[in-house]
Amino acid sequence: MLELTLSENRAGQSASALVQFVLPPELEAREPAELRGLRRDAVRLMVLPHASGEPIHTRFDALGEFLRAGDLLVVNDSRTLPALLRARDENGEPIEVRLAHRRAEDLWDALLLNGRTHIGRVGMRLDFGNDLHARILARRPDLPFLWRMKFDVCCSSLLDLIYRLGEPVRYTYVPDALPLDLYQTVYANSPGSVEMPSAGRPLTWELLLKLKRNGVGLASISLHTGLSSTRDDAVDARHPNYDEEFHVPATTAQAVNETRARGGRVLAVGTTVVRALETAARADDTLAETRGWTQLRIHQNYRLRLVDGLLTGLHEPQASHLDLLSAFVEPTRLQAAYQACIARGYLWHEFGDMNLIV
Amino acid sequence: MFALRDKITLISGASRGLGRALAIEFARQGASVIINSRRTSAAGLAETEQRVRALNAPVLSVLADVSQRADVERLAGEALARFGRVDVLVNNASALGPTPMPYLVDTPIEEFEVVLRTNVTAPFMLTRALVGQMLARGAGSIINVSSDAGAVGYPTWGAYGVSKAALDHLTRVWAAELEGTGVRVNSVDPGDMDTAMKRASEPDGNASRWTKPETVTPVFVYLASDESARVSGQRFLAQQFLAAQRD
Ligand SMILES: NC(=O)c1ccc[n+]([C@@H]2O[C@H](COP(=O)([O-])OP(=O)(O)OC[C@H]3O[C@@H](n4cnc5c(N)ncnc54)[C@H](OP(=O)(O)O)[C@@H]3O)[C@@H](O)[C@H]2O)c1
Repeated sequence: MLELTLSENRAGQSASALVQFVLPPELEAREPAELRGLRRDAVRLMVLPHASGEPIHTRFDALGEFLRAGDLLVVNDSRTLPALLRARDENGEPIEVRLAHRRAEDLWDALLLNGRTHIGRVGMRLDFGNDLHARILARRPDLPFLWRMKFDVCCSSLLDLIYRLGEPVRYTYVPDALPLDLYQTVYANSPGSVEMPSAGRPLTWELLLKLKRNGVGLASISLHTGLSSTRDDAVDARHPNYDEEFHVPATTAQAVNETRARGGRVLAVGTTVVRALETAARADDTLAETRGWTQLRIHQNYRLRLVDGLLTGLHEPQASHLDLLSAFVEPTRLQAAYQACIARGYLWHEFGDMNLIV
Repeated sequence: MFALRDKITLISGASRGLGRALAIEFARQGASVIINSRRTSAAGLAETEQRVRALNAPVLSVLADVSQRADVERLAGEALARFGRVDVLVNNASALGPTPMPYLVDTPIEEFEVVLRTNVTAPFMLTRALVGQMLARGAGSIINVSSDAGAVGYPTWGAYGVSKAALDHLTRVWAAELEGTGVRVNSVDPGDMDTAMKRASEPDGNASRWTKPETVTPVFVYLASDESARVSGQRFLAQQFLAAQRD
């Protein structure tokens, strides 16, 4: 058995253990709304008030009804990379490589798979075709299912090959490989995420520009997402604490500070934005430009310093995201709200329906 | 001088002709440039890159077929990875279709589709991939390279002419939708230029009457620069712009 270093939830039992439900397979979104004959912004939206009150069930493009002039939406503008690569080892055995975190221009942490079995060994040499190779340098001591891998190509050339050889990371509920552009938000900027920052996917520019006309601000951070699953349920169940690279630009820090000073609400689009902003928050609950890696774990008893509300998707039972959500809303209310979503046939995962907690 | 200082510009189809002339002039005006063409003209693209580099301008070359959606996403992603933003997009790459140019009735359906995909769908896809980060900043300029053939129904210029008319209309609709955002969209008819495309379209033409692509760059510099910050939804004639400048 591998020795995993996992941060404990100091509050005791984790919210993901408190929020129990069974997700019927037919509620797993298999493809984006556009391929289901809907507009991007026509997915469902459950609005869950923070403290008390019944959830409201509406459509995502009605989002503006729940926002006020002076609120600030903060999005994650990281672009999604095609992070699933196929390689062969020295013996010609096929290996699936899921890139997880870019550590330097030619250095990645990656998950190595044979089917769903974790494999890998220091010194292993991988051949990706197209004259791209990598060597396994080491195993991450804190996350032993990840291997540090050095490519023999660097920079723009490596990125070019990742684009040419890779496909978007997907899980069993998405049956077919889909074009990479379907994994981008409408405001995506520089690539670096290995999975789509999906909370912002339903946002359209038509909706964003309307919100802007109504006095809602828009700001962005960049956080390059890691993998949401190791494909090994036992490992996933222990909620390994990934570190993710992020940047809060000065303009966003200023927008957040001004919004709070005016009494407006800071609304995070996605759990990645909560992590980035709360990591960068200073002791006096203000924000300055920050660049770094975050390992922040947000749970039920975490005092949120900057973020007042969260726009997010619907998360699987056991997902560590549920811990983060419980910083915004009581697990028992979350549980009831999720049951209502199941009863109404909401769709889960990155191409599914949405939840606003304000 | 330096009208494009600190601008990050992307020019599709820059291995020769107008695209190359624009890359060099934008670099001379202080811009960083991302240049592109398909693999078939990699040598030409490398030469453009070298000439831009000689001006000490930051440059990134990306081989990509802009009529393919995966290539468009790759081109946009590599550009943004390298420079962190793109301020100016010039949709210059273009397909003429089969030559000698046939009547519409004699045009193979596949060839018609390639022309439409390259001259209309590609600019749509590239704009779509890059306009979001422009809107997020509230600034940006998109320039579509059109043609006289898009305004006049010349015989044998069928597929190409239809595509350029569509591109002009694409320009108008984008501009209307983006009004007030700080992102502007315009098109330019460069006029007759002595390039590979021109010689293919009119093998018996009098090349001495065609201008060099280097001469039409001022209107593109103007549209890429902040000087045109309020200009959107317009169709420019490069020669008319030059004449007005001389006055
Ligand atoms: N020359 C004229 O008299 C004239 C007049 C009016 C308008 N125009 C317009 O001006 C623009 C430039 O024309 P030009 O005369 O300079 O043409 P050109 O000499 O044929 O150059 C076209 C460029 O586009 C590239 N290209 C073509 N298809 C591409 C694709 N699918 N993906 C990526 N790159 C592609 C070409 O390289 P590869 O083919 O190797 O990829 C080349 O670099 C075009 O939009 C044209 O319609 C020209």
